[in-house]
Amino acid sequence: MPAEKVSLMLKHVGCGNSSWKSPFLNLSIVFKHRFLVRNLVRREIRGRYRNAMLGYTWTVLEPMLLASVYYFLFVMLAGNPDRMYPVWVLLGVIVWGCFGRSLTGSVSSLSRNAQTIHLVYFPRIIFPFTSIMGNIVISMMSCLVVIPIIIFYDLPLTIYLLYIPLSILLAGFLGIGLGMFVAPLNCMHRDVEHLFRFIVRAGFFLSPVMWTYEMAQARGSIGEMVLYNPMVVPLTMARHGVAGESLGIPWAGILGSIGFGIVMWILGSYVFNRYEAGAVKHL
Amino acid sequence: MTSNAVEIENVTLHFPKQRNALKMLMNLVQRKKERFTALRNVSFTAKKGEVLGIIGKNGSGKSTLLRIISGIYPADEGTCKAAGSISLLAGLGTGFSGHQTGRENAILYGSILGHGEQVMIEKLPEIIEFSELESFIDEPVRTYSSGMKARLGLAVASAIHPDILLIDEVLGVGDPQFKEKSKKRILDLVKSTGTVIIVSHSFGLMKDICDRLVLIHKGKIVGVGEPDTIIKLYYETTD
Repeated sequence: MPAEKVSLMLKHVGCGNSSWKSPFLNLSIVFKHRFLVRNLVRREIRGRYRNAMLGYTWTVLEPMLLASVYYFLFVMLAGNPDRMYPVWVLLGVIVWGCFGRSLTGSVSSLSRNAQTIHLVYFPRIIFPFTSIMGNIVISMMSCLVVIPIIIFYDLPLTIYLLYIPLSILLAGFLGIGLGMFVAPLNCMHRDVEHLFRFIVRAGFFLSPVMWTYEMAQARGSIGEMVLYNPMVVPLTMARHGVAGESLGIPWAGILGSIGFGIVMWILGSYVFNRYEAGAVKHL
Repeated sequence: MTSNAVEIENVTLHFPKQRNALKMLMNLVQRKKERFTALRNVSFTAKKGEVLGIIGKNGSGKSTLLRIISGIYPADEGTCKAAGSISLLAGLGTGFSGHQTGRENAILYGSILGHGEQVMIEKLPEIIEFSELESFIDEPVRTYSSGMKARLGLAVASAIHPDILLIDEVLGVGDPQFKEKSKKRILDLVKSTGTVIIVSHSFGLMKDICDRLVLIHKGKIVGVGEPDTIIKLYYETTD
């Protein structure tokens, strides 16, 4: 009720509130609005499989169909892969899909939600955040496919299975930083969205989705260069998680990938908070 | 401490114009900025406990002004200050997702408007009752008529009690019976809320409920004062 409002004039939030604190502030904002985030994530997930007879089965079916296509492609080009290869491709497709959708989803998070943005103000960091949360949840559901795989291939149940959800989280995290970095720009020029869709498609081949880290290593010097790609770590992580073995990537590579994610989160938060207020005028 | 709930001082807001790549490059070279000024040097205050109306022709900047107060757009120049929580009622039900049920959408919309979980759980029965949707509340919203959507939107939006309420032309949805009911509900809300800023084209209503009116024309404030005087001024200015 209004009555005893003693508070003095408050300045508006939303404009120019970017500082070195932004990356941490954004986390606390998301936590504070968790009820809203939960509802928006639910809308995002429901929206993806609306009116589908198979519903959430598609979360598993889609990567499986994709993986089978890539499997045949590989057999035609290179021939004779090892018996675990279909599994590696399937996991690659799931993890890369999580990254790709997180990236494109957070890039277009502001422009897609123009209607809501015009309606009400709440901290806009919530838009890219809900976008990756939705993707992470869907990718985690896709990961249930691991259960039949373990039974079929008679794989051991180890603690390393935890690598699978971790790899999904890392893939999403790598996506959001970069996505936030350019999301305001995408409000002004949708070209950004198209460019990033291309980047995701091209990155698919440059990252170990159809191939594996071990295959690259077998080719000598390329094996070292591959580690400059931060996505190598989450992709390899998921595979080794299923196989039940440790990561086998040099520490520098692991720290490099996580470090890249953190740096992009900090940069992305800063740029996002700095420019989103002006950018929404373009919507 | 002042008795003002909203203070707007010399607010100017430009909208950028979308141009293709070639035009943009030309502008960059010629160092000129193409923009549309939606508000120019707008200043006014709303006192605590006051019902302030904003009138003006379509495209005069009324809605933009409300969006500045609610924080959706930052002002390019000038300052906008407000004391307390603000809520903007506009475009009811536009944020609904068609494949979720009315109940889910009510919770979603409520949380978008800034309600906590507890508040929504408490208010939900009242919201559902007011919306008159009955068994339709558990059907997907895409099966709703536009009137039903608007009713649900109004039911959720009017269940809130902010310190400052901004209303942007949300009266007059649904059939005559519901129109009456919603008008009453909004009027109750206006009465129970400390400060209200309302944008509407129905001058009759504005005359009834507003303490003061602000006339805005082409992004500038033309007059502030008694409702009768300002409405007269409106016809003089806009002819």
